[in-house]
Amino acid sequence: METLEQIKKRIEAAVPGAKIDIVNNGSPSAQHSLKIDNEHARDVARFLRDDPALRFDFCSNVTGVDWLDRVIKKTVKTKQVVDGVEKDVDLTSEEKIPGYLEAVYHLFSIAHKHGPVIIRMQTGRANAQLSSLTPIWRSAELQEREIFDLYGIKFEGHPDLRRILMWDEFEDFPMRKDYRPPDDFEWEPTPHDDVLERAKQHYPARPTETELKPS
Amino acid sequence: MSLHPYFEIVVFVGVALIFPVMPLILAWMWRRFFQPPKPGAAKNATYECGMESLGEAQIQFRSQYYLYAIIFLIFDVEAVFLVPFAVAFTGLPVGAFLSILVFLLLLIEGLVWAWGKGCLNWAK
Amino acid sequence: MGDEIDEGLRSELQRQGIWVTSMQELYNWGRKNSIWPLQFGLACCAIEMIATAASRYDIARFGAEVFRPSPRQADLMIVAGTVTKKMAPQIVRLYNQMPDPKYVIAMGACAISGGPFKQGYNVLKGIDRYIPVDVYIPGCPPRPEALLHAFMELQRKIDNQKLSGPNKSDHLDREHPSEYPVPAFGKHDLVPRANPDVFRPPQIERV
Repeated sequence: METLEQIKKRIEAAVPGAKIDIVNNGSPSAQHSLKIDNEHARDVARFLRDDPALRFDFCSNVTGVDWLDRVIKKTVKTKQVVDGVEKDVDLTSEEKIPGYLEAVYHLFSIAHKHGPVIIRMQTGRANAQLSSLTPIWRSAELQEREIFDLYGIKFEGHPDLRRILMWDEFEDFPMRKDYRPPDDFEWEPTPHDDVLERAKQHYPARPTETELKPS
Repeated sequence: MSLHPYFEIVVFVGVALIFPVMPLILAWMWRRFFQPPKPGAAKNATYECGMESLGEAQIQFRSQYYLYAIIFLIFDVEAVFLVPFAVAFTGLPVGAFLSILVFLLLLIEGLVWAWGKGCLNWAK
Repeated sequence: MGDEIDEGLRSELQRQGIWVTSMQELYNWGRKNSIWPLQFGLACCAIEMIATAASRYDIARFGAEVFRPSPRQADLMIVAGTVTKKMAPQIVRLYNQMPDPKYVIAMGACAISGGPFKQGYNVLKGIDRYIPVDVYIPGCPPRPEALLHAFMELQRKIDNQKLSGPNKSDHLDREHPSEYPVPAFGKHDLVPRANPDVFRPPQIERV
């Protein structure tokens, strides 16, 4: 299989205007991925599926990710002249990345027996919207519905975008990090940590010193 | 005194009737005189695997369905005639062969007529 | 009708070759040996329930092998597995459609309390929030022996039910409800979260 850099170059040549970034995965698995922009997502996906050298005809997995606000610290060693003497100084720069929602697709090629290539699409938390890749890979249909159900990302062009796990009347998106479950902690047999804190609010208050003293 | 030869059968029929009917009568009397009936909206609703049932349990089929049923029936009956015909084929005179051909032609004509009329198009 | 027989008199009569019984004993003996469960499973506990019905554990020894596909013919509901919030109204509706007398076994950690998935966004914290449960079986999943034990407990319970008097069985009590309200799908959770007539969580006591 071609490397991600080669694939990226070929996509950029085939789909004019497509913005492709390579997202590096620092873990030992080193499964780097391609971040594609929302506008050209379907054209890029069609290219990945139809290109004779790539032929990614199977989308095995679609999943959602909710990224919180992050601060990435970078230290760069530079030489500065301090008091006339050249010294090595660490310059730390902080980059703030606001939180976003992400849909991740894992692609394999049955025809060429290679893969996976991972593509990602990002969208903001408010009014989350992405273009659906179900017209390209039919296998994404239910999984995109699941992402819509649990993360609230609307997939534009999806043939049947309804809730799949939760009931239709449900309004929250339970896999988002800002989801707060309903407060039904009235009876917890073995509470601990967060659950203990929530359950305490329902338990009768600990009697104070004056209440304990027999009058 | 000799018993009628059918006497045992009469006893057998009597026992065979009493045996299933008695528990039913007992159960009916139990319900009638002892156990309070507890009907309710959900209990009497149409059973739909726990889902809320929509409409009646007894629904009408569309009349198009009967066209399929009748056409199926004709060709099913045709097979019943064709099997003995095929079994006895070698010993048949020419007249029998011609008459079964006429029978087949009539059926095929009916199929062509139904086809042309659009009966075989699936009703959307 | 349901009065107890004097045990001494009974054994004396039995010695003489006369066997006596009461209507109540006969009725309960018949009922407890033909408990027909409703045929449905919700999650992995259902596999253990199937194993219990199969030849090695053989629930037929207790007269309960007839798993009925319709609630109209069932006496017992074995809630085997995780009850999701989406499934809970259907379970309650099935319970409502069963004729009296009816019994419920909550099988496994999930059915009795939500179990390992208790804090999940779609998991009901125990079916006893909506319908009365007769026997609880802990375990994840409980072994078939545990289900058989629950069965024998249920048989013991049926055997001790009275036909008359102030403590008579619920299904003979005209005032006792046979149906319980089905929870509705709300915007954030099931509405109501529990049926206060049924759900009585243990009181937290501070010492």
